[in-house]
Amino acid sequence: MMKESSYRTGVTPVWCPGCGSFALLNALTGIVLPNLGTPGHQVFIVSGIGCSSRIPAYINAYGFNSLHGRAVLIAQGAKLANPDLTVVAIGGDGDFFSIGAGHLPHAVRRNVNITCIMVNNFVYALTKGQTSPTTPYLRRGEGPFLSLQFYPPVDPVLDMVSYSVSTGASFIAQGITADVPHLGWLIQEAIKHRGFSFINVLTPCVTFEPPQFFKTIREKASYLKEGEPVELPDSSREQPWLHDSGNITLALKLAQTPVLEKPHIGIIFRGKES
Amino acid sequence: MPRYYGPQIRGGASGVKLSLDTTRASVSGDTVDIMVCFNWEKYAELEQELPLGINTVLFYDNAPPKKGINLPERSFQVGFSEISKELTGTTAAKNIVALGLLERILALPENLSKGATAQDHASALLERNGLALNAGKRLLLEFPFAELKLSPPWDASVKVVLHGNAAVAQGAIRSGCRAFFGYPITPASEIMQEMQERLNHGNGAFLQAEDEIAAVGLALGASLTGAKSMTATTGPGLDLMTEMIGLASGAEIPVVIVDVQRCGPATGIPSKSEQSDLNHAIYGGHGDAPRVVIAAYDVEGCYRLLIESFNISEYYQTPVILLSDQWLGQTTVAIDGNFLTRDYSVCQRRRPGGEYQEQYRRYELTEDSISPMAFAGDEGLVYQATGLTHNEKGRPSFDFATQQRMHEKRWQKLAPLRGKDELVEVFGTEEARRGIVAFGSSAQFVLKTVEDLGLQHRLKVCIPELIHPLPDKLASFVGSLEKLLVVEMNYSAQLHHYLRSQLDLPSDTETYARAGGLAFTRKELSGPMTKLAR
Repeated sequence: MMKESSYRTGVTPVWCPGCGSFALLNALTGIVLPNLGTPGHQVFIVSGIGCSSRIPAYINAYGFNSLHGRAVLIAQGAKLANPDLTVVAIGGDGDFFSIGAGHLPHAVRRNVNITCIMVNNFVYALTKGQTSPTTPYLRRGEGPFLSLQFYPPVDPVLDMVSYSVSTGASFIAQGITADVPHLGWLIQEAIKHRGFSFINVLTPCVTFEPPQFFKTIREKASYLKEGEPVELPDSSREQPWLHDSGNITLALKLAQTPVLEKPHIGIIFRGKES
Repeated sequence: MPRYYGPQIRGGASGVKLSLDTTRASVSGDTVDIMVCFNWEKYAELEQELPLGINTVLFYDNAPPKKGINLPERSFQVGFSEISKELTGTTAAKNIVALGLLERILALPENLSKGATAQDHASALLERNGLALNAGKRLLLEFPFAELKLSPPWDASVKVVLHGNAAVAQGAIRSGCRAFFGYPITPASEIMQEMQERLNHGNGAFLQAEDEIAAVGLALGASLTGAKSMTATTGPGLDLMTEMIGLASGAEIPVVIVDVQRCGPATGIPSKSEQSDLNHAIYGGHGDAPRVVIAAYDVEGCYRLLIESFNISEYYQTPVILLSDQWLGQTTVAIDGNFLTRDYSVCQRRRPGGEYQEQYRRYELTEDSISPMAFAGDEGLVYQATGLTHNEKGRPSFDFATQQRMHEKRWQKLAPLRGKDELVEVFGTEEARRGIVAFGSSAQFVLKTVEDLGLQHRLKVCIPELIHPLPDKLASFVGSLEKLLVVEMNYSAQLHHYLRSQLDLPSDTETYARAGGLAFTRKELSGPMTKLAR
């Protein structure tokens, strides 16, 4: 299942078979880095703590598996001190939107040229199935979506994409691990964007979510194409508009679409470069 | 010139004590010779630190409260505000009037105060300041004493005027620091401000971070690319940095962290000194993470030891915590500036050479346990590091023998530091069998008190600048004693307990340890010292 690539190290991933993190690894080592042609020594991958954060050990580039929630700090420091490096911060939803959430708006407003990839599997998987800030909120009797979650989540979801839009991130995209070529393309665009880029990657957790959870997301996903009408959820009364990734008001509308109703895949917003 | 201000940092009560005897640096007498008081209500907040002596000459603006203040015999009410208002239309120049009066009393050369008043650029203001100054000078005639002729300066060598925080920043630049990240916090903010000034010309990276976790995290990121990186903070900030310090220790990333200590716990008294972060600096954090702890005791040391901190941090690939404190950091002194231009050896990180091209092992177990470190960006040396227990290649490992070996590596590599005799100062006669150990700014008070009591031949004093790992020279100093006194400004005697955990202390060992806030006075230290000498 693993594509041969000179960007892979010999280390065997610890992930469960079928984990979405494999898709990210394939996208990075099989598509993004070969296409950009950046040699491994000019790339620095920094991660936090969580399943997906084990990724630096598998990529033949400079890498650092740092602390929970702090990848974006190490990444900015490295980029500021050596602007020639391509710096990518990778973490999970717990990393970016729980323990490390306070760092994100500051990274956004500094607009340091790094790429943040949030591998969003909607759950704390490494610690065995606890709710994360992105776990869908369920009313009693509606779930549970999460197989091992004894108590259903009671707090509303922290909507990470809207958050990035509202803090003014200069490049915001949403990808899905079910489509590796498209994910690879998105990451390339993010890296090429000169400024802070944030990509929310919709990912299944094959162990702590029932299969229908990600299946729903995958089936309802729709691709954003510049200049073409956007698809809206059935519940929406709005007229579809033509996608314009330069329009922040429209970007916020896209971001606010509930992910279980209509996940928009593509570049949501592309703003000013630094 | 120590600064006195309250926990309301941006305003409120404030005062300065200026010592005209530059040989005494920041440690002046317990009471003052001349005091000018503009506000009795605010004076009440500073009275513990700036007590009036019976011989103090006091000038005050408004009548003192009926209760609570015992005016010394030579006390004079001078309408500083009134004169200022009359001549300049505002009371704001009352301090300039006072300056004029002091200039005459002390018979200072005219050019001194000219420089001082010219700092205000608006010429109209200058003119008014000039009026106020002259009015102050004329005031002398109204008092029943002549000019106090000061003896000429004892030490006329070239002076520089700076405080410990500025010395730290200048030392950082001298040692080639290219990345500074900080968060405002009293009493360390001046370091960040000066670094911002100095790194803002395209010669380095500076960011005011969103918090102290970010500050040290940014520094580690910069350090991984080879930049000498640092941050500066005080106790609460050090708390937040603790997890990252463990990461830096475990993943062997050089970084310098300056802790300008203040009173704790929690918010404590932000504007006053204490030496209560010692335990945290040495032991703070989980999981046996060795680090180096250094403490400066004077302004020259802030400069020299910042360079030394970088040398150690870069050479040994370890976090170094440089302890300063509010007194040291914010007391401005005029001192011989030779140390600013002296030669210092500046150490570089050990980097892998050509021999590694194929099989570079980031954490290779070498003879001295220091593994050459590639900079992120170096060709042919790509490695992946982690905060997980890792093997020589930096790969995650769950092998218990590796866990043991990597602990050994990180601890053993620091062992040679114990032999750094130059980081331990010993004063007094070697034959003395009674001695004092003190660190940080407290050591200045100890030295001055020993001198003032004339006990130099009875007592010797050891000031360790390197605190952890514990230097051999400190061990042999303690080993040579029959009686030991440990002086420190924290409630629980942290230095004493640290020494006791590592050394056989003399059976006759005493501590003088108390909570911070108020600077040590010679009067209070003379008790335990006289007892030690007896």
